[in-house]
Amino acid sequence: MQKKILEFTNILRKSGIRVSTAEAIDSFEALDELSIDDREIFRDALRSTMVKRGEEVPTFDQLFDLFWSGFYDNLRESFGQATAGLGEMGMDLEQLLEQIMQMLQNMQGQEGGDLGELARALLTADLSQLENLIRAAAEQAGVDRIENFLQVGFFSRRTLEQMGVEGAADELRNLADQLEQAGMSPEQIQALRNLIEGLMEAARRSVRAFTERELQKQNHDYMEKFRRETLLEKSFYHLTEEEIRKMREVVERLAQRIKNVLSIRRRRLKRGKLDLHQTLRRNMSHGAIPFELVFKQRKKDRPKLVILTDVSSSVANVSRFMLQFVYTLQEAFTKIRAFVFVAELGEVTPLFQELDINKAIEESLEGGDVINVYTRSNFGYAFHHFWQNHLSAIDNKTTVLILGDARNNYNDPRAWCLRDIHNKAKNVVWLNPENPSAWGFGDSVMDKYLPYCDVAEEVRNLRQLSKVVDGLLL
Amino acid sequence: MFDTVDQVLEELGKQSYIADKKIATVVFLAHKLEKPVLIEGPAGVGKTELAKVVSAATGRPMIRLQCYEGLDEAKALYEWEYSKQLLYTQILKEKFTETMSGAGSIGEAAERVGKEDSVFFSYNFIVPRPLLNAITSDEPSLLLIDEVDKSDPEFEAFLLEVLSDFQVTVPELGTIKAKDRPLVFLTSNNAREMSDALKRRCLHLYIDYPTEELEQRILQTKVPDAAQHLVEDLVSMMQRLRELDLKKTPSISETLDWARALLALNATDLDEDVVNQTFNVILKYEGDVRKAQSELDKLLQKKAGEAAAKAPASAPPAASTTKKGALH
Repeated sequence: MQKKILEFTNILRKSGIRVSTAEAIDSFEALDELSIDDREIFRDALRSTMVKRGEEVPTFDQLFDLFWSGFYDNLRESFGQATAGLGEMGMDLEQLLEQIMQMLQNMQGQEGGDLGELARALLTADLSQLENLIRAAAEQAGVDRIENFLQVGFFSRRTLEQMGVEGAADELRNLADQLEQAGMSPEQIQALRNLIEGLMEAARRSVRAFTERELQKQNHDYMEKFRRETLLEKSFYHLTEEEIRKMREVVERLAQRIKNVLSIRRRRLKRGKLDLHQTLRRNMSHGAIPFELVFKQRKKDRPKLVILTDVSSSVANVSRFMLQFVYTLQEAFTKIRAFVFVAELGEVTPLFQELDINKAIEESLEGGDVINVYTRSNFGYAFHHFWQNHLSAIDNKTTVLILGDARNNYNDPRAWCLRDIHNKAKNVVWLNPENPSAWGFGDSVMDKYLPYCDVAEEVRNLRQLSKVVDGLLL
Repeated sequence: MFDTVDQVLEELGKQSYIADKKIATVVFLAHKLEKPVLIEGPAGVGKTELAKVVSAATGRPMIRLQCYEGLDEAKALYEWEYSKQLLYTQILKEKFTETMSGAGSIGEAAERVGKEDSVFFSYNFIVPRPLLNAITSDEPSLLLIDEVDKSDPEFEAFLLEVLSDFQVTVPELGTIKAKDRPLVFLTSNNAREMSDALKRRCLHLYIDYPTEELEQRILQTKVPDAAQHLVEDLVSMMQRLRELDLKKTPSISETLDWARALLALNATDLDEDVVNQTFNVILKYEGDVRKAQSELDKLLQKKAGEAAAKAPASAPPAASTTKKGALH
């Protein structure tokens, strides 16, 4: 049992659930106290001792089912099918088996009278014994080293060989012959023969099923993790619909993480100057002798954010995820104003406050009724518009975040607008989904804007994006 | 106290706390292994209630430590009662003078005072806080550390020390060890992730929103006056509300409030008017109320549709059409 639990622990670890040795020991202790006959209690005992995070519970449940249950049911199903054939022929399995056992006992001592372990287990449909035999053989065959689907056939064969299934089949066929000689009725013999073939087939199928489960167990979550990792690295330019949907979850997780870290960081900044007033008040009970010191809590300024997002199709994906970050992290900023532009520029801040996240983002990307998105990008025009109408939104605590590829379609870049913005703002951050080596080539006017950016980063994938967001809040 | 998991279920049931097996198993293990339990889950699913109920079921007195930002050792463990010490010094002034009268030098006087040290640093002058109370308690107790996620990381580290061997060291008094290990429940709303070290020492219990069936049973136990059909409607409505994307998803406590509110209003059926009027009992944000109201038609309709769908499922297919017709 302990061995099996350790094995299970290893599989949990492989799927990214951290289980320490101490926790494995806890689970042993827990099982000492409980009867493990009740599957539910058994599962709860393992879960409460090994899994310590709410979000890991589903993974645990899946793996638990794969590992602990299921296979027995699987066995029952395949062997149920094999024996069900008998019923259709109007034979009673119990009766037949009883008869065989009777005859076997009579033949005991005679040559060929005793059956091997496997043959006996097969014939009496002793499923738990069969399960043990399969597990033992699989271990011998090294099934736990299975890595991909192509190996299923190979390992199944090896396990079958290891079990000696063919030998058992021969034994059983011999048995049928002997029983025939011993005077069993022809129908019964026929039924027995059918049963034997059915059982062999069932055994083969079970072993294969076992190998497949093993594969699933070993590779569980592997694909999932793999995909998550690649999504982080994947360029925003090549995303499918499906990936965008998945990406949303990833962004959500990242944003949540940043939020968590944020609260810790803010707390660290608390220690400030001595607060004389509070110190005296707190120490009144000590006769106003300052035993306990109280410090003023220095609040870290939460940044104000003005975000200018290019929503033309070329950068729509980056904008989408940036907006999602900003929406989720709204409370991390004192004030957020969001603008979208292609050529015209319009404010979408109200959308952020009123709508839920998906609607807010979709509407922003479609221009939010304030701008026409079906034109060609014109950064100069947009900046000029901002300069004319919204420059007052910027003060020396404001971070201006600009998202765009700076492909200006050979329009006037009007970089002086950005210069004025830069002069007023705390800092200007430009996120460009293009590689820096392409900046300033073709119709890119990034080089004109670059002098007025405090930070200009390439943001081509999620990892880069989350790094920038993190930096913003630091 | 508890010998089997079923017994735990039963005992909790006696305190009118309807638990599932998962909860009962963890409570049972906590008791057997003497390990603290970390309970996580959304607000209002009965995390704190569980601790209270276990305390009632086991007859252990509950000692509660409410965590908040800035909670420190002095408020959680013990504090010297400075003013009392000061007062005693004042009262005993004459005695001091007497003690020191024969002293030749300052050094000698200080030494004499030093000998009396233990008078002032004894249990008399300690204000025990919840943790020390739980450790020194004469009878086995139950310690509830509520909303541990609200405390600072430093406090968490300190808690680790206490939870691992239930002894504390007061420098002036020495080490105090617990006579009986208290049962410990920690609750967390996941405002922040607890450290792995803490999690490792605890059994973990995640209480989620209850299933429909469980919620019905809870409602029946807690609000026995509610009519059966009202309970069913209410619960299925709540289950559907939880599927909406709300700012604050209503929890069991809200279900109970709602049922009580409906009873107080003498409402026997869950129709549109009643629901509209009482939405603010379960939804705590204006935006949520508006959203739920806009979905209300769908929520109620779904209910009717489901009832229609349910009927034919149990009836033979031939009869289903007629039944459906009758319902519409």
